[in-house]
Amino acid sequence: MVSRTRQSLAMLAFALSAGLGATGYASAQEIKTASKWGDMNSVTQDLLSRAAGDGNNFLHTNGNYAQTRFYPNRQINVANVSKLRPAWIFQTEVKESLETSPIVVNGVMYVTTAFNHVYALDARTGEELWHFKHKMGPITVYCCGPNNRGVAVSGDMVYMATLDAKLLALDAKTGKQVWETQIADPELGYSETMAPTVVDNKVLIGTNGGEYGIRGFVKAFDTKTGKLVWTFNTVPENSVGVWATKDATGRDMKRNIDAEKAQLAKTGDPYKTLGGGVWQNPAVDLETRRIYFVVGNPSPDLDGSLRPGDNLYTDSLVSVNLDTGQYVCHLQYIAHDVWDLDAVSPPIITTVADKDGKPIKGVLHGGKTGHVYVHDAKDCSLIRFSEAMVPQENMWVLPTKEGARMLPGANGGVEWSPMAINPNLNLTYAINLHQPMTYHVESSNYPAGKLWLGGAFKVIPTEEQWGNVTAVDYNTGKIRWQVKTAQPMIGGILATAGGLVFTGEANGQFKAYDAETGSNLWKFQAGAGVNAPPSSYTVDGKQFIVVGAGGNTQIDYKRGNSIIAFTLAE
Amino acid sequence: MTSGKARTTAALSAFFACALTSVAFSQTASIDEKAQTCLQCHGEQGKAIDPSYPSIWGQHQGYLYLQLRDFKLGNRKNEIMNGIAQDLSREDMMALAEYFSQKTWVNLNQPRASEADVKRSETAIVSGQCGACHGADGVGAGTTPRINGQSHDYLLKTMEDFRAKVRTNNPWMSDILGTLQPEDLQALANYYAGK
Ligand code: HEC
Ligand code: HEC
Repeated sequence: MVSRTRQSLAMLAFALSAGLGATGYASAQEIKTASKWGDMNSVTQDLLSRAAGDGNNFLHTNGNYAQTRFYPNRQINVANVSKLRPAWIFQTEVKESLETSPIVVNGVMYVTTAFNHVYALDARTGEELWHFKHKMGPITVYCCGPNNRGVAVSGDMVYMATLDAKLLALDAKTGKQVWETQIADPELGYSETMAPTVVDNKVLIGTNGGEYGIRGFVKAFDTKTGKLVWTFNTVPENSVGVWATKDATGRDMKRNIDAEKAQLAKTGDPYKTLGGGVWQNPAVDLETRRIYFVVGNPSPDLDGSLRPGDNLYTDSLVSVNLDTGQYVCHLQYIAHDVWDLDAVSPPIITTVADKDGKPIKGVLHGGKTGHVYVHDAKDCSLIRFSEAMVPQENMWVLPTKEGARMLPGANGGVEWSPMAINPNLNLTYAINLHQPMTYHVESSNYPAGKLWLGGAFKVIPTEEQWGNVTAVDYNTGKIRWQVKTAQPMIGGILATAGGLVFTGEANGQFKAYDAETGSNLWKFQAGAGVNAPPSSYTVDGKQFIVVGAGGNTQIDYKRGNSIIAFTLAE
Repeated sequence: MTSGKARTTAALSAFFACALTSVAFSQTASIDEKAQTCLQCHGEQGKAIDPSYPSIWGQHQGYLYLQLRDFKLGNRKNEIMNGIAQDLSREDMMALAEYFSQKTWVNLNQPRASEADVKRSETAIVSGQCGACHGADGVGAGTTPRINGQSHDYLLKTMEDFRAKVRTNNPWMSDILGTLQPEDLQALANYYAGK
């Protein structure tokens, strides 16, 4: 047996985690109800559909169904952002990774924490209205921290998916649980960290588990009853595809097609344990009744020998019918991925220039590869891809036992962090990571729902790491501006009609940039990693910006437990 | 573990394994009754009858259940436990896991690790990222086991088993421990046992 390096397994990127002591591990379901609440109104489908133009509420994890994260209020703008001050700080009970996108409905804010706590807060003051702790089942299996990215709202309900793979509906006024549904079996490696999306009486939800040999899906449940409406399996029974030898940008992936074909003949289609998680929200197009989402990596991550074929639809943009879950189209970025450079950042629907410069409906995705991909929404086809936002080296060298160095590292590029756009400037904003890693392969058979990486990603301790905030013109693919940050970036970004872009850093800095030029106009030290997507809302005529500062488990950024809301000083 | 000790253990195990086949679980027995069998080895008061047997009192429910499941499936091989788990239904395994998880973790009063072992362990813990899953204090959660205060001989045995791929129910643990040296495992066993 070749002896392996004794060197640090450091960082394994997202591989590590689970566990993390008992902090915040709810022993029993508990609800604390305060005596008063805000002017809670029922969230109608019409409100949800018009969210892109709603300068008061923040109704969707990524702002609106198109997931633009472009907030239409301009009260806080380039001219006055320097006067932005904290209005209130709320401290949750759980000091762990915060990835929640605060949702705001008529002055009531809903945030979630690690281990599936939900808080309803008075959005004016930060006062707690109620607090719900999920009673966690005995079996939770998750690769990258006990995270949760927030709730979806509809009617009088608040929806959250849990680490033990359940979907819960809570009464928005009281935080009492109305129903729960088991989405999938956690014993097989399924877990939930994403916020659900609600549309037309359906709750849409994907799954984690690409590191555990699951078979991924997107499911739709009835908002009232929790009954399953449809399932789309992200891995079809024929997952082999076309034996693509090049990635979507035309680079050769050094596949050994003959060896794969021989393996296929021997072991058959690997679809049952092929991974393909969907752990970020879909974009919804109500006009065509389609949803667009990205599908994650194949299992096991680094070992392709056990999974011959293109591994459809892993590492792909996929569109399905909203009402039936029927397949519409897909585009695979990387066939037979062995680097975990999959597709995770949520897609955005917006008008883009096609190859002839004509405006058409397009879909954007920020790839772990470091490219922004621009698609035709009609057939998912690729119109263009942007300049690389991070250094790329040695692509696509195959993982080896001793480890092969390649850039970007396995976190990307762009991690799960949602992008934001400014449709007036034709710019999309992404946050990036530069983390040099070596890719190691170590084959093992399917371990029945246990961690299954087929090797390891190791950060190279001697090499410098950093991050970027990057603005890309999606009509040309050119980088308009780029700002380097001290640490790799993970969390999210918000653009506003006030000509601003907000995003936070691992060192606790929360910053506002000029959307056109990238100049840094304002900053605030939050005391813990700002690694969550910001939201904005307006109550009593006052616009707020709000963000969680709780650090990050996956890349071990300083933990905290603050939700911080900012508004202009009087 | 000395070889003398190993032989005693093996003999004991064989004895119990025989004894047990006749104690087949009746369908109607309550969980309390079923748990009595377990106490024969894992200890009437939670201290196992042999240091190479694990403490299971106060261990996490999810972890205990998955081990029983893996013993039943044969994904984790151990003559004694494979036999025992054979007769257990999923409900039994879940209930037994709950039963033992609710007991108090037993302090075995094992000696603290020497300074040299602590130093060696700390390096191994950083390189193997043990804390990221088992927690900085080694108490784990959910399906990740508590390892701090676990019986020394068992810790060493099971880590060596992972490393040699004799324990096959978590390839990732095998990979991590495969990057360490045998002396690291000895230091780690001393370190976590005495914590
Ligand atoms: C005859 C002795 C014996 C009996 C009776 C017995 N066990 Fe065990 N058990 C062992 C031994 C020995 C091991 C360690 C196996 C190894 O080294 O892999 C073990 C391991 C375990 C483990 C794995 C613990 C860990 O930390 O990984 C669990 C869980 C367990 N036993 C539960 C039970 C339950 C529940 C019962 C009763 C239904 C039971 N055992 C009865 C001897 C016994
Ligand atoms: C990626 C998460 C992860 C990391 C990192 C990790 N472990 Fe584990 N460890 C686990 C899980 C999960 C199990 C349960 C294995 C199973 O499913 O059977 C386990 C099992 C164990 C056991 C067996 C406990 C028992 O009761 O049988 C020991 C001992 C152990 N780990 C020690 C270590 C040490 C020492 C390190 C660092 C060198 C380490 N682990 C790193 C996740 C991890």
